[in-house]
Amino acid sequence: MTPDTLTKLLNDSLRQSLAGTLAGNGVSGLTRLSGGANNETWKLTWGETPLILRRRPFSADSIDSLEGNILGLSLIDEASVIQLASATAVPVPAIHAVFDTDHPIGEAFLMGFIPGESIPQRWLTDATFEECRGKLAFQCGEALARIHAIDRLQLPSTIGPTTLGKRFEAAQKRLHAFGDISPVMQMGLNWLIDHAPSEAPCVLLHGDFRTGNLLVNEQGLAGVLDWELTHQGPAEEDLGYLCANVWRFGHLDKPVGGFGDYDDLIAGYQSASGWSPELSTIRYWEIFAALSWGLVCQTMGALWHSGNGDVERAAVARRRSEAELDILLLIEEWENA
Amino acid sequence: MTKETDQATRSDVTSSELIGAVKQFLMESVLPSLSGRDQFNARVAANVLGIIEREQQLGPALQALDAEAAQKWLPNLSSDADIPQQLSRALAARGITPDTEFRDYLKARQLLIAGINNPRYASRAVAEARWR
Repeated sequence: MTPDTLTKLLNDSLRQSLAGTLAGNGVSGLTRLSGGANNETWKLTWGETPLILRRRPFSADSIDSLEGNILGLSLIDEASVIQLASATAVPVPAIHAVFDTDHPIGEAFLMGFIPGESIPQRWLTDATFEECRGKLAFQCGEALARIHAIDRLQLPSTIGPTTLGKRFEAAQKRLHAFGDISPVMQMGLNWLIDHAPSEAPCVLLHGDFRTGNLLVNEQGLAGVLDWELTHQGPAEEDLGYLCANVWRFGHLDKPVGGFGDYDDLIAGYQSASGWSPELSTIRYWEIFAALSWGLVCQTMGALWHSGNGDVERAAVARRRSEAELDILLLIEEWENA
Repeated sequence: MTKETDQATRSDVTSSELIGAVKQFLMESVLPSLSGRDQFNARVAANVLGIIEREQQLGPALQALDAEAAQKWLPNLSSDADIPQQLSRALAARGITPDTEFRDYLKARQLLIAGINNPRYASRAVAEARWR
């Protein structure tokens, strides 16, 4: 969709729905931001208020056969989870409008723009953020504990409880559906099945809580973004995901997202939840996160083959090799620990 | 006396050099004239050419490694079979035990694949130091 068309459609709809809540009478400066392989992200201004539009560029039908818990959440459900999180102390943007698939804009939602730095390559290295980096692992632990405490009864019905067994089954199904192309991913799944921790109670997980989805300022955590992979599962899953090698941006010596240490993450989590997750279980979920990243890469390849996506999506399919490398490295580390 | 070949001016262009020429065109001519998503994708496209180039160099070694693995773990495989796929399926059926020898093969294979797809990925340096 061109920026002009989208601007017109937004104006048609927002003049009514935002009346009385946000000052302004038209959209200006609509620009598509780069990145974001699943959903489009647009920046715009309403009156004087900067806003962000998240939009799914393809219809849900066209990817139906590829859906699992990887692309499964609709933007409508994502918006309702963000609204639930906004009632906690977790920093999230305000939701201003939600459009369903029948709307001319397509499936989308409009949210507030939180000022802050979102580009990890900047805030992971820039001296301005040194103080922020020192506090961030603890703050992430706190934020995750608060997300995990959200009442599951209020969740959209599509975000149901699950078991490890079902997760393994889904992963196996996807490996088969994608042509069994990776012996390492299959070995990784077998290993995860054989070393599974005992079944823990389900909590609401952010599901994509990683360095690239955090917004920071000099004081630390300013925003938790991208809730599209939200699902239920054991608490340690979110912690392990944040520590996955692939999201450390090359800073492998800082296991928590490339900026922090395990102890601070666990201490932050303990301070808000009253219990300390086990490091070995967190590390188990790092391996699971590597497998999941590999499956995301395969999904991107499959989506590209079905005509959805540009050269970036085709290229992401090749990043499967990062996941494979990490699966082998992490299993070795686990067994030598 | 100078040999004939030393005097010749090169007139052929290898596929690897062609890739280099297209990469240069993308980075120096196309990229600066674009903005936003298209500029981002032009950079991705230049990186993709790098993958193709490295696959041309390392692909044969990868195929040789897989062929050797097939003889060890899937001795009855037909010659036109997709080796990684058959290994994956054997693993899924728990027909192959991932012992040290099998894992060493996967590691050697993965070093090549990482070298093709993303040589700058941080874990690769760790793996190279540990496994080579």
